[in-house]
Amino acid sequence: MTEVSPIVFVVDDDPSVARAIKRLVESVGLQVAQFGSAQQFLHSERPDAPSCLVLDVRLPGISGLDFQRQLAEAGIHIPVIFVTAHGDIPMTVRAMKAGAVEFLTKPFRDQDLLDAVQVALERDRARRQKEAGIATLRDRYESLSAREREVVAMVVCGLLNKQIAAEIGTTENTVKAHRSRAMEKMQAESLADLVKMVERLQTFHEKAS
Amino acid sequence: MISENAAMTGSYDYGEVSRSIVIAVAASYAALDLAGRVTATHGRARAAWLTGGAIAMGIGIWAMHFKGMLAFRLSVSVEYHWPTVLASLSVAILASAVALYATSRQKMGLVDALTGSIIMGGGIAGMHYIGLAAMRLPAITRFSPLLVSLSIFLAVLFSLVALLMAFDLREETRWSAMRRLGSALVMGAAISAMHYTGMAAAAFMPSALPPNLSHAVSISPIGNNGIVIVTLLVLGAAILTSSVDRQAEAEVRQINQGLEHQVTERTAQLEATNEQLRKEIAERERADEALRRSEDRLRLVIDTIPALVWSKFPDGSADFLNHRFREYTGLSAEEGLGEGWLKAIHPEDPASSVADWRAAFAVGKPFEFEARLRRADGEYRWFLFRGEPLRDEVGKIVKWYGTSTDMEDRKQAEWALQEAQAGLSHVTRVTTMGELVGAIAHEVNQPIAAIVTNANFCLRQLASASRNSDKLREAMLEIVNDGTRASAVISRIGALLRKGAPKRVAVDINQIIQEVTILLRNEMARNHVLLRTQLGADLPRVSGDGVLLQQVMINLVMNGIEAMSSIKRGPRELVIKSSRDHNEVSIQVKDSGVGFDPQQAEHIFEPFFTTKPQGIGMGLSISRSIVESHGGRLWAESHPTGALFQFTLPPLNNGAS
Repeated sequence: MTEVSPIVFVVDDDPSVARAIKRLVESVGLQVAQFGSAQQFLHSERPDAPSCLVLDVRLPGISGLDFQRQLAEAGIHIPVIFVTAHGDIPMTVRAMKAGAVEFLTKPFRDQDLLDAVQVALERDRARRQKEAGIATLRDRYESLSAREREVVAMVVCGLLNKQIAAEIGTTENTVKAHRSRAMEKMQAESLADLVKMVERLQTFHEKAS
Repeated sequence: MISENAAMTGSYDYGEVSRSIVIAVAASYAALDLAGRVTATHGRARAAWLTGGAIAMGIGIWAMHFKGMLAFRLSVSVEYHWPTVLASLSVAILASAVALYATSRQKMGLVDALTGSIIMGGGIAGMHYIGLAAMRLPAITRFSPLLVSLSIFLAVLFSLVALLMAFDLREETRWSAMRRLGSALVMGAAISAMHYTGMAAAAFMPSALPPNLSHAVSISPIGNNGIVIVTLLVLGAAILTSSVDRQAEAEVRQINQGLEHQVTERTAQLEATNEQLRKEIAERERADEALRRSEDRLRLVIDTIPALVWSKFPDGSADFLNHRFREYTGLSAEEGLGEGWLKAIHPEDPASSVADWRAAFAVGKPFEFEARLRRADGEYRWFLFRGEPLRDEVGKIVKWYGTSTDMEDRKQAEWALQEAQAGLSHVTRVTTMGELVGAIAHEVNQPIAAIVTNANFCLRQLASASRNSDKLREAMLEIVNDGTRASAVISRIGALLRKGAPKRVAVDINQIIQEVTILLRNEMARNHVLLRTQLGADLPRVSGDGVLLQQVMINLVMNGIEAMSSIKRGPRELVIKSSRDHNEVSIQVKDSGVGFDPQQAEHIFEPFFTTKPQGIGMGLSISRSIVESHGGRLWAESHPTGALFQFTLPPLNNGAS
């Protein structure tokens, strides 16, 4: 898989701060996109690449903390690094609880920000990979016929071919055929592999629902 | 055979004629009377009346007729063949019977009337001519056919008239005797006319033959009068009987009616009485029911009233505590009575000792105050105590009755409301401070953050082998710009603080003090602070901004309240005093707290100096600058009995002069 170049989004209503952050982050070779408000960020075209968001807490219109929640509700899973000129402990706690990578108080140490950006990008990269994996798995699973899915569900539960045949009212040979076809479609190398795949799909779906 | 051709001339004895007419009238009257009787009776009585009436009436008619004949005087002696006379009488009686029968029926149609009248008229005529035939005289009787016909016609006609009259008049009650008498006169006259017409129809021719006098009698004057008398007696008797009978019947009817009326009346009375009784019973039942209901209601009210109900003796000991009281406090009846219930009152509140209650009772007037009452689980809640005295005849108070109403929730709501209202002053005082500080921090931190970040970038560039001088210059330029910006922010804030030269109007400082005490009344109550104000009279107004001066007062009062919050025992007293002092208006706010270290007397006015854990140390600093902007002074003194904050303001006219 070829790695798409990551991008760092900076949302700060103070343009000089935003520029300074952009300059600093670019100096370590990362791509930076700068926005003056949350709305601007939302309405922008965002490349499909590992990314993170450096977000000012005090923003025009909506607070950074509320914006963080909105993003989560909209299903945008981007790691957030908060920067604020006037933060307090409850604010920090809230941000971190909501899944922020770091909460930095202005003026911050340059290395702290760069470290946080690296952590955030790494986290997003992992998430993307995982999501991509899941997506592949889901595609494969969706290529199964209804009967094959039924057989897979029973196989995963540990039922023997004979039992499955009795259960769905067919011959053992037919079950074997369904099973090998399903394994092939799912690209599972072993039964254990198949069980793991189904488990991943299930846990992902549970999280999503 | 007839020797003399000329008829014998006869003359009439007018006395007899008039007597015959009297009889005719009497007979008519009797007939009318009897017709009524026959109609009014039934069965046997009717038959008897019909028979008796027919006889009486027949006799009457016959007597009239006979009398009329006797009135006719001839030159010869006349005798009468009595069997024929009797026959004529019986014909008269029969005719009368028919007439009575006809008139006494329920209905009389035209045919009935005509038939009746023909029979009756025929009867009468028959009687007349039979009577004539009874005459025994030495003469031949010749009849003029015209007059005979006329007489028969008249007889029928008068019979018809008589029948119709009788039929109309038979309703005894409706027609008076006078009316009946009038009709009888008409009828009598008619009968007489018919009779004399009939008489005129007969002419007597002298005859040589002697009359056949077998069974003949001559009528002597005595006999003649006897007939009249007997007839009148018979008619009189008939009329009398009829009248008596009618009277009796009327009386019976009247008595019956009277009885019926009485029965009806009595029944009505009884019913009325019954109804009255029923009503009374129902009323009593209702009253009983109402009483029962009212008792139930009262019990229910005492059981469920959302208040604690009590009564106390004038010495403050409890005499009665309702169920709710005991339930709330968890005290049993024995524990609560006497002075036991005082244990449930918060020891810091008035009303927590017998002495407090005696003092309240001693005033002798209804009272109300608030105090906290301990619930069974140990929580104290605010209650409104209200008491009302019960006096004996001489006005001495024997008992106090009262309620205690839970007002904790209301009090909380009130405080919340007051707090919300006071938000303008107290709450915003703090928050605006916080916001101001936050704003300053944010405004200054933004450029500083940019400076630091850019400076770090520069350092990184300098350390890097591939340094880009363009980018370095650019970043350094930004550093300069942001440094300038930070400085501008600072000077802007300074300007902001100096800005808004307060408006100057005439301000009554006492009014401001009162507004502030109202605003903070609940704050003081909640902290159990007793407020005393000593406001000087006739204070000159000061020139100033009411809102800012109010801010100063709130600051000082809140400081006082907070300074006393740590006092566990002893009074929490806040005194606000305004006075005129050396041509200045002086305001003092003194608390009974721990005071402060006298060496800090000036530090406390410095910005960000605070002794309070939550304080930001701006209140007194701002207050001092407000007072000084009004041309006054603000300072503090610490006394062993607490802290004293005092400020002065120049009066309004100072500036003017």
